[in-house]
Amino acid sequence: MQHNHDALIETILKSRAKLPRSAVPMNKAAEEGGCGVTGFIASIPVAGRHIFEPSVQMHNRGNGKGGGIAAVGLSAKDLGVTQDILDSHYLLQIALLDPKSLPEIESTFIDPLFEVHKAQQLQTVDDFRDIDGLDVKPPDVQRYFVRVKKGFLDQYIEDNNLYKMDPRKIEDELVYQNSIRINQQFYASLGEKQAFVLSHGRNIMILKIVGYAEKVVQYYCMDDFKAHGWIAHQRYPTKGRVWHPGGAHPFIGMDEALVHNGDFANYHAVSEYLQEHNIFPQFLTDTEVSALLLDLYNRTFEYPLEYIIEALAPTTEHDFDLLPSEKQQAYRYIQAGHTQGAPDGPWFFIIARNNPYKNYFQLIGITDTAMLRPQVFALQEGEVQIGLICSEKQAIDATLQSLSAEDSRFCPIADKYWNARGGSATDGGSFIFTVKDSDARDGTKDLVCTNKFGDVVKTMGNQTHYTVTPELRIPSKPDVIAETILDGLSMADISDFKDYCIKNLAIWDYDSLRYFCHQLCELSLQSDELKTRSIELLTHLNDMRYPTGDKKRSSVLHIIRDGLTRIFSASPKLSENSTSMYRYIDWSTRASLRAPQSDTEKVLVVNARDFPPEGDDCDARLICNAYESGWKQFICYGYKGQRFTGCGLAVGSDAVRFDVYDSSGDYLASGIDGMEIHVHDNAQDQLGQIMKRGKLVVYGDVGQTFMYGAKGGEVYIMGNAAGRPLINAVGRPRVVINGTCLDYLAESFMAGDPLNNGGFVILNGMEFDHSGRVVEQANPYPGSNLFSLASGGAIYVRDPYGRVVEDQLNGGEFVELSKADWELILPYLRENEKLFGISVTNDLLTVHGRRRSYKEVYRKVQAVKLDVLAKETGGEE
Amino acid sequence: MTDKKTTLPLTAETPSRFRNTIGKYIIRRNSRCTSCGLCAKLCPYGVHPRYDNYAKPMRPQTHKCVGFACKDNDYYCVDRCPEKALSLRLNPIMETLGDYRWTTEMILGHWAMAESGELPVVDLEYSLGNSGGGFDKIRFKKAPKKDRLDISDEEIDTSIILNKRGDGRPEKKISIPCYGGGMSYGSTALPVIIGRARAAKRLNTLTCTGEGGYPEELVPYKDHVITQMATGLFGVREETIQHAPVLEFKYAQGAKPGLGGHLLGDKVTPEVAAMRETVVGNALFSPFPFHSVYSVEDHKKHVDWVKQVNPRLLASVKVSTPTDVDMVAVGSYYAGAHIVHIDGSYGGTGAAPDIAKKNIAMPIEYAIPKVHRFLLDEGVRDNITLIASGGIRNAMDVAKAIALGADGVVIGTAEMVAMECVRCGNCESGRGCARGIASTDSELGYIITQEWTEQRIVNMYMAWRKQWCNLLRSFGMRSIRELVGRSDLLVHLDYLEEKERSRYQPAPSEALIL
Repeated sequence: MQHNHDALIETILKSRAKLPRSAVPMNKAAEEGGCGVTGFIASIPVAGRHIFEPSVQMHNRGNGKGGGIAAVGLSAKDLGVTQDILDSHYLLQIALLDPKSLPEIESTFIDPLFEVHKAQQLQTVDDFRDIDGLDVKPPDVQRYFVRVKKGFLDQYIEDNNLYKMDPRKIEDELVYQNSIRINQQFYASLGEKQAFVLSHGRNIMILKIVGYAEKVVQYYCMDDFKAHGWIAHQRYPTKGRVWHPGGAHPFIGMDEALVHNGDFANYHAVSEYLQEHNIFPQFLTDTEVSALLLDLYNRTFEYPLEYIIEALAPTTEHDFDLLPSEKQQAYRYIQAGHTQGAPDGPWFFIIARNNPYKNYFQLIGITDTAMLRPQVFALQEGEVQIGLICSEKQAIDATLQSLSAEDSRFCPIADKYWNARGGSATDGGSFIFTVKDSDARDGTKDLVCTNKFGDVVKTMGNQTHYTVTPELRIPSKPDVIAETILDGLSMADISDFKDYCIKNLAIWDYDSLRYFCHQLCELSLQSDELKTRSIELLTHLNDMRYPTGDKKRSSVLHIIRDGLTRIFSASPKLSENSTSMYRYIDWSTRASLRAPQSDTEKVLVVNARDFPPEGDDCDARLICNAYESGWKQFICYGYKGQRFTGCGLAVGSDAVRFDVYDSSGDYLASGIDGMEIHVHDNAQDQLGQIMKRGKLVVYGDVGQTFMYGAKGGEVYIMGNAAGRPLINAVGRPRVVINGTCLDYLAESFMAGDPLNNGGFVILNGMEFDHSGRVVEQANPYPGSNLFSLASGGAIYVRDPYGRVVEDQLNGGEFVELSKADWELILPYLRENEKLFGISVTNDLLTVHGRRRSYKEVYRKVQAVKLDVLAKETGGEE
Repeated sequence: MTDKKTTLPLTAETPSRFRNTIGKYIIRRNSRCTSCGLCAKLCPYGVHPRYDNYAKPMRPQTHKCVGFACKDNDYYCVDRCPEKALSLRLNPIMETLGDYRWTTEMILGHWAMAESGELPVVDLEYSLGNSGGGFDKIRFKKAPKKDRLDISDEEIDTSIILNKRGDGRPEKKISIPCYGGGMSYGSTALPVIIGRARAAKRLNTLTCTGEGGYPEELVPYKDHVITQMATGLFGVREETIQHAPVLEFKYAQGAKPGLGGHLLGDKVTPEVAAMRETVVGNALFSPFPFHSVYSVEDHKKHVDWVKQVNPRLLASVKVSTPTDVDMVAVGSYYAGAHIVHIDGSYGGTGAAPDIAKKNIAMPIEYAIPKVHRFLLDEGVRDNITLIASGGIRNAMDVAKAIALGADGVVIGTAEMVAMECVRCGNCESGRGCARGIASTDSELGYIITQEWTEQRIVNMYMAWRKQWCNLLRSFGMRSIRELVGRSDLLVHLDYLEEKERSRYQPAPSEALIL
């Protein structure tokens, strides 16, 4: 049987040798560094307009020279065919750069081969110039629903002796080969390109243009077009004045569409690998060869998805050692055979695909082993489920906001956000969202999220989302709530009231919570004192982890943040006559910025929503100007990825405090020198670069290359850090990370002697469970590289079971914690307790219910003098 | 075009710090000398100094001697000496100095320029090396006589503009088409760093911190100091970004593409470690590449960041010259850079590993026109400043680079030579630079002074300026900006017919430098 399978593969590959082709490319046609990628898949079909917002969010990751979208699990009604036709027929879409080429394409490649069920030209807006920002006319697109003619198929089976193969798979191959012929004749072989195949799979389609991705939706009138899964790509090509849509993403395999953010270093080697299997690239981009590789592994070799991922992003180093032996054996075979074809360099793939044989749709995200591109995954479950993958978190939030505005079954905040750890033994660097028919067999669909190894990712099951209604519903005992608030806020110290609220949040229903927030908003209008306390209380409820009863945490957060937003927005404008210490400024009132009036005005409330994310008009610049004119305290909210918050205030900003709400952006707190920033949500990439002094608190996770080249500062992270935190940090940074890191923590750390004014990182390896309890993560540090090539500083890792091993160190060494070490870190753990409620005694020093001494719980990793750092070779300009 | 006369910084005689200045020729005086004083009276170059009222002859200033070419002059001291006490010969030290690119004569020529601020009078070939290729094979065509403009040096404009984006940030004009390359605190002595900054101020140009922090002593010159941000981020703080008129992102170096900076443990003295906030005696590697930049959109974010921190700052992007350097340049333009700085393969001090030096990146004379034309085709050439570096040794190399398509160049090695670097190439090894330049040693690093460094560099550039002015005048140009991209004025000797080629002066051959 195995032999037969090999023979069939051989036959298929051989038959491709007859295809027309170009030479194996030495180089890519265009250099494109990175890009913005986004995708989501839901258990219900959703309209194309929802890919619009996240695409707009990622404009600064593209340059408008190429954009594309793909949709999978389409609506038969919107396509004007029956469900049966949609399921069984190939949806062939051809982009006509030169519409005159259509007759020849049809007479040569369509009519002889296919039974055409339906042919149509895609509807577009009348004039592309009506769409703002579209400079190049998108191609006309011809769409066909086709099957290969039976006679043709039979003949092919007979000619190639393929009786043992599923005829449907042979039909797939014929469609695929036909597309290659079309592309070769009308695209690859021509200087002046005429036409190319956009997509040809079943129940999946691709459209691409020169322009930003969301313009695809507008131009081809797909605002209301429904599909389960959508992906979009903003391209950033840097070569050639004339771009055309052929090079834009997504690219096709058979029934899959792939978008890519990154850049291969071994493009030629991958092309050569493909050549060995008679596959020849036609569009000369990284992304095309990625899609071709995927198709080879998936359709021709019929590998299971796990093995495909392993072939693309091999498991290495310490992670490989952690795999069970039978997996090691299988992976060793895969790596031996496929490393040559494995893409090398930074890459992140998002794949949307249909499996017509097993009847499911999938959205897949895969990161490279070194995790060099940004990536965020998110999941929301409930009455409907949705999985999202994106380059930046704010694009996920934008998608959910767009969806929830239209359909109250969606919540604007996901239940769970996380990063994948590339080529790892824990998640394999990949997560897969699968949408398939539900067990109820009533036509509804379910979404399941799994990692590379098939482990299911779930959120808390027995909770429900809040259905947002425009009007406030009065709960059963409104008076009790109102009275409690009045009492609570009037106490000298509101910490008891905070505890009371947290306890009651598990019990209250949504209406009570919303009423509670509403009351706080009303009260905060009365006086600055009540406002300050309301903000403090709601911020505390936003930051902390606690049981939420039958309510989804994401919905609870939604209501609390909504309350905060309302309080912030109600602050008097700078131009208004008011005695309030709070003053409000936003994009439309930015010209009204002035110095604070001496004693009264204290806090500048900045609504960042409509500000550009960077450039001379960005909110971060406005804040610099405000600081120069005397403002020292800032509440910043409404973020959707605006960058550089807190940057540019320079040395001596000691009395300054920022409170940052919502989806803040990259480079936050970079270079700060004295000030204090509290981020009341997850934070994004490149936080705290070259940070010198000051305090940074993040009530959530932080993204890639956190505190790169930092010189100091006191930093507290409630959750995890992604890849490469604190690389090249020097001086005296003092950092507490309560979760873990993906990999490469504190590489080349040079922060002196921690016991003598140097720097260190405390890694607690903890997380919060569904009910807000602090629990240990499976491994405090799963990555293969810890403290590599470090020459100074130390890592204090909470590791009572000794799970971190020598193999993970490259230059560091474990030493026992001394009393001096403990006395050094204890004040930071105490501050950490104050900020996040992670108790030193009850959480950190308690292992399995038993109190332990610090020596039994914490381990110290310190630098050893390495030959490579002391030897005399090489040099610097 | 400008009719305004520029005031040039003053040159001043700045002799060598060492007792015996090395020259091309040696004049020896034997015991037959009666100290009659005739030679001192005869020599117009001052080779034979003499006190007015002290009869004993002094040691000849041999580096000023014009050598055998003097034979036909009636003041030729060797022939005129009544006692036949003088003899002339080539200095044997010529055999030990220099290399194919920086020939001995080029080094000596630059020492002479740095000493006097004038073009050397000794017959030294300081514009061409012996490399057998590159700039040594590229020549300017002879300009037709009719094109010549009869104007003074002061009427010729050698300034270039660093911001052509028209984005509301300062235009930043520098008066010569060169600025100083990055050499870090740690790689060179503090008086060298400050001296270079003082020279940059005098010349109205810039110098660069390199990747090693921003010593307080530089702050008075901050308007003329580029802050470099390299992959190790050593010593870069928000404050130093705000000091800088230009921030240079060092993505790569032509001398060692694919490798980050590297300072060996021995050079990491307590002072250097304090500046970089690292551990004393531990080698400092800068990673490659920036951990926060793996793609062009990351790069854009990087540029946006520093522009946010300093609204008056210009962004320069320094990259090496891989085969797709043209695309990198265009990508940088779209990412918002004001200056694209391409660094070719010949550059760097002696400190880059041999395996990388000259073996990886593209020679700069290929990279410049490639990038220039690509930017032209993209329609963005007028909006970005193209700066070249990496093996641009002398004034004529600068002019050739500009004619090939660069707006200006970055100079590193030549400034070191002006400070009497002998190009021994051992910069990285410990603190023992024989000339006290590339040393952080507390004694060796102070055998050089800021004032001396400053004047030597000013002198050299003023001599270079004379060469540029001569060239521009001959082509009838009033501004060096008219020369940009005029590769039609250049020839490459290898592509000329034999007869045509013979009309150009051959590059020095082995025999010429002994």
